[in-house]
Amino acid sequence: MISFHLNGQNVEFSGDPDTPLLWVVRDFFKLKGSKFGCGAGLCGACTMHLDGSAIKTCVLPVAAVAQKQVTTIEGLSTEGELHPLQTAWVAHNVPQCGYCQSGQIMAAAALLKDNPNAGLEDIDRAMAGNICRCGCYPRIKNAIVDAGRQLAGAEKARKAPIAYDAMSEEFEA
Amino acid sequence: MTTNTLSRRRFLKVSAQAGGGLFIAAHLPGCSFGGALPIDLADDGFVPNAFLQLTTTNDVIFYCPADEMGQGIRTGLATLVGEELDVHPETMRVVSAGSHEDYNNPEYEMQLTGGSNAIRAFHEPLRQIGADTRALLLNAASLDLGIPAGQLTTENGMIIAGERRYPYGEFLGTASTLPLPEATPLKTRAQFKFIGSQFPRIDAEEKTTGEAVFGIDIDIPDMVSAVVVRAPVAGSRLISFNPERALGVSGVVDVIAISSGVAVVADSYWQANRAARLVEIEWQSTPLGSVSSATMRADLAAAIENDDQATTDREGDPENAFSESSQRHSAIFFTPLLAHAPMEPLNATLRLKNGVADLWTGVQAIGSAQGLIERITGYPREQIHVHNQYLGGGFGRRATLTHIVEVAEIALAVEKPVQLVWSREDDLQNGLYRPASLMKLHAALDHTGRITGWQARRAGGNLTPDYMRNSLPALMPNLPEFIFEGMTAATDYMLKRWTIDGSSVEGLHETYDLPNREISHVTVDHGLPLTFWRSVGHSYTSFAVESMMDELAEAASLDPVSFRLRQLENKPRMAAVIAKAGDLMNTMSVPEGHNLGLAAHSSFSTDVAQIAEVSVAENKIRVHKVTCVVDCGMAVNPDIIKSQLEGSVMFALTATLHGQIDLERGAVVQSNFHDYPILRMDEAPAVEVVIMPSDAGPTGIGEPGVPPLAPAVANAVYRATGQRLRELPLQLA
Repeated sequence: MISFHLNGQNVEFSGDPDTPLLWVVRDFFKLKGSKFGCGAGLCGACTMHLDGSAIKTCVLPVAAVAQKQVTTIEGLSTEGELHPLQTAWVAHNVPQCGYCQSGQIMAAAALLKDNPNAGLEDIDRAMAGNICRCGCYPRIKNAIVDAGRQLAGAEKARKAPIAYDAMSEEFEA
Repeated sequence: MTTNTLSRRRFLKVSAQAGGGLFIAAHLPGCSFGGALPIDLADDGFVPNAFLQLTTTNDVIFYCPADEMGQGIRTGLATLVGEELDVHPETMRVVSAGSHEDYNNPEYEMQLTGGSNAIRAFHEPLRQIGADTRALLLNAASLDLGIPAGQLTTENGMIIAGERRYPYGEFLGTASTLPLPEATPLKTRAQFKFIGSQFPRIDAEEKTTGEAVFGIDIDIPDMVSAVVVRAPVAGSRLISFNPERALGVSGVVDVIAISSGVAVVADSYWQANRAARLVEIEWQSTPLGSVSSATMRADLAAAIENDDQATTDREGDPENAFSESSQRHSAIFFTPLLAHAPMEPLNATLRLKNGVADLWTGVQAIGSAQGLIERITGYPREQIHVHNQYLGGGFGRRATLTHIVEVAEIALAVEKPVQLVWSREDDLQNGLYRPASLMKLHAALDHTGRITGWQARRAGGNLTPDYMRNSLPALMPNLPEFIFEGMTAATDYMLKRWTIDGSSVEGLHETYDLPNREISHVTVDHGLPLTFWRSVGHSYTSFAVESMMDELAEAASLDPVSFRLRQLENKPRMAAVIAKAGDLMNTMSVPEGHNLGLAAHSSFSTDVAQIAEVSVAENKIRVHKVTCVVDCGMAVNPDIIKSQLEGSVMFALTATLHGQIDLERGAVVQSNFHDYPILRMDEAPAVEVVIMPSDAGPTGIGEPGVPPLAPAVANAVYRATGQRLRELPLQLA
């Protein structure tokens, strides 16, 4: 029996501990937003967050995530609000077929969480593991820069002591 | 429902379609489903025609007749119908139409999404349906309100009567008693609200939240998963297999022989895929088993010089043109086999229950999917429902439905709902491929730099026989296989001896005025399954023709733009596109060490020119920026046009720099993205797009951005290095 946190909830999986996390999430927990693309950690369609870092889950045995925090695309936005990356994705009309986009967004979200001011080269590096066969790369890049600016702005605002007084508790909590 | 008597006539039409090669439209009974419309009618729903359902709660549901694989067709077609209906595409519910002859593509006379024709072919019919439906609602409102229709107007789903506004949904009761008006006048361009304007794709949000449903996301109770082990060498039949080790894997339910190989059925994909590697199989050997990339290349080289085997299409007097010319130039170009590698591996989910078949998948030909299920299961057509989902990439691959045959055979055998999933390895090694091509071009110039004689020959495989082999059983589910084998063999023979498969040579001359020309073809068939790959024949002919154009420009001491313009006297549209590209080139500030290359190509009724900005360092080619100029008629959704060109550039750049499928003893060598690399973000160039203003009808944009890219890059590489690279993928010496 392996327990871990999936999008903030405690969950348990009693099947084969070698089963890759991707298939546990898709087949057992029925969250279908994370995709199967290569089964070899080469394309990034299956990207989730493991304790906040982007990770390819099609080759990650579920045993490796015991007691850890797993976040999927379904858990990225909170309270029905789109994540700034998702808003930017729509504003830039990023998706074509859309199949790789969950993985792209999860990879980008991990990058911006650590570095909202990521430059173009940082973005290239962080996104190098995610293939988009439709070739949405220029728009993905623009959307990440845009969302980063927004997040950096929010970060700045959050650190400003007075302006956020009323809301800061919620933010910190 | 309308009854189209034409489509019920008993004949098989084989016709050459402009730009699309040899195309088969089947008109035999049963090949197109004509029963009740596949529409779930809401309690209060009103269906004025196959494409629309309106409800009293003011839902407008649009049944989209083309399959969404990223090209933006749901947004595009919703824009056309919404423009005339006066409903914003964003507020419509756009769903995939089921299988029915009313949704047939008007040019193909079957449900097929491909050949970049959906916007072109559905433009008038869908606008007409929108306009007629709006007129019907106005007539109903006129009766209900007692106001002459001429005094009523509409605005975004509302009937406007002076100061008062009524939602369309209020008049459905009366509307359902009235005849649908016909030939209602369409809007003029000045009246457009949605066509030509910018708004997000209607599927953008669900494709960023993970909510968009693809075929692979279907999950139904009691479903088992299947993985098929297919012959490493295509066409090899199964001799025997030993399932024992596979059956020992936990979760494995069954291991069975099907027509394409051995199916391993398990509780989950991961278990089935793991067990699949353990099935021991003996395969028959086939002639393809002795073919490798090197022997294939040698066969093409021999064929290109083989005049006796060539089939020819001539115009004017090329011999005379060559004998009178003082300047001639020849070159040979090679392009390899390629795989499509859509991000979503092929899959299909089939439930056979209580005499009803439900198929969930994402394909470019849903009528054919229904036909195959009928053929294999024997279920009556009206009890077979195809639920087409978003396609995780298509690129031509999802128009061939061998996976639908497989899922039907497996579902019959296991008597449970089955989801079949191909692994990435299956996708790259057991698929259908863009054929390899060798092309020999020979041109004669006059002293003014005009091309007076043109000979172009291509050696390689044809697509039509494989397309027939795979599609005829679907189009005519009640006829026995041997008939199709006979038809396919006859066509194959015809294409080798008498005529040319249009898609094999498309693009070898059409972009330019080439009055004295000979287009010839030598078929080389190794038995590897072949199919349409985004932009089809144009994907390779453009590389040869547009590289040659730069070579000829140099021979004629002209710049690439004015040389091309000299060959375009009778093609004003392409001339304007190239002239525009030339103007842009002249004003570009190019960093030191960067070089520009130009190429242009007409395909699928759309003209595209591209300028690639390229640098070469340590023998590595880097493309920094690509500027596209496009004439695709009236721009229905400019931002989708832009994104299709961006995507086409990336798709074509993968093929230009990396793409290559190799054969070793008949088996595909490449197996996953480590050895079949796809362009990644750090290699992606910036893309700029200029759309030529046009009042002409809209034409396709899914494919035409692919062909010019490789030669534009090759032409820039020549300028940077002096090396004329005549093979793809480009590799510097």
